[in-house]
Amino acid sequence: MNYSHPSELEIQEYALDKSECATAVTEHIESCTICSTEVKTYQLMFSEIKQQPAPAFDFNLSGLVIPQIKKSSSKFSVDNFIAGFLVLFASFCIGIPVFLFRKNILYMFTGVPSFFIYAIIGSTSIILIIKILLMYKKYQNQMRFLNIN
Amino acid sequence: MNNTTENNWSDKHLIDRVLCGDTRAFGIIIKNTENLVAQIVFKLIPVSEDRKDIAQDVYLKVFYHLSGFKFQSKLSTWIAQVAYNACLSWIEKKKPLLPGNLFDEDIYEGSTDPGYSGLFIANESESRIFQKELSGILSKEIGGLPRIYQTLITLFHHEFMSYEELSQITGLPVGTVKSYLFRARKMLKENLLSKYKKEAL
Repeated sequence: MNYSHPSELEIQEYALDKSECATAVTEHIESCTICSTEVKTYQLMFSEIKQQPAPAFDFNLSGLVIPQIKKSSSKFSVDNFIAGFLVLFASFCIGIPVFLFRKNILYMFTGVPSFFIYAIIGSTSIILIIKILLMYKKYQNQMRFLNIN
Repeated sequence: MNNTTENNWSDKHLIDRVLCGDTRAFGIIIKNTENLVAQIVFKLIPVSEDRKDIAQDVYLKVFYHLSGFKFQSKLSTWIAQVAYNACLSWIEKKKPLLPGNLFDEDIYEGSTDPGYSGLFIANESESRIFQKELSGILSKEIGGLPRIYQTLITLFHHEFMSYEELSQITGLPVGTVKSYLFRARKMLKENLLSKYKKEAL
């Protein structure tokens, strides 16, 4: 028999599914009253969690959602039409000048001072860094509320 | 068609029908998954009035994004993921109005007494009374855990979800999910033992 007690993690694993545990751990737990009491405590706790009443909404959820879906389905097709029209309009607005000035497009960016290129790269990088920092801050706030940190 | 057959329809079949405009099929999806969504919403949202709005918002999002579902997981897991993210968004919006940490893990002091006798009672009648009490105490103690622990413990032990499914729902790596679950179970056990000892005294 292994005389050193298994770790808390091994005891939890045994309580969940002893077939997943190493033989030495299984043998120890089955012959050690302290460890088997620990296992029984966990097993009792797990079975009690299973028996806890599940929370339920005190309203008819599908009765609330389905009418909203039906209402928005008709609105959705109108929205689709407007979106399609806007895409088509934007394509013409961009496509026509591109077609008309196609010979000059290649020369558009020649002769741009390097200062402007650096300014564009710099400002894009700053915006990107700010966005990343805001995302990280948002994540941290959420985690703080979930009481992890 | 009877309800049992409807409930047994595969995710694929239900989604196909919803995409063809059958709102009744979406009603079946809601019926099949609302208990899981309730578990998540009840654990993460302390304000009961807002749960109604969040639950509706979850299913509206599911409906509008259903065509993008790639069948890389069960539909219920995906809906649970939408619910979890909706709750996080709500938390972000309502953060300044919410009470502080309900239970700070840092100030937690678990029972470290090596000589404790555990929660096991040999006598049968005593055991029955004890189990009734235990259920009430356990419910209270689960409510005292950090919200993410409450959610994980409930989904794992009550809804029988796997570590991988929990990882997908919460967006946390599988290793982190396992580690949080380990800590949650340990904390819960030690809270229960210390509570039980106090009451026994």
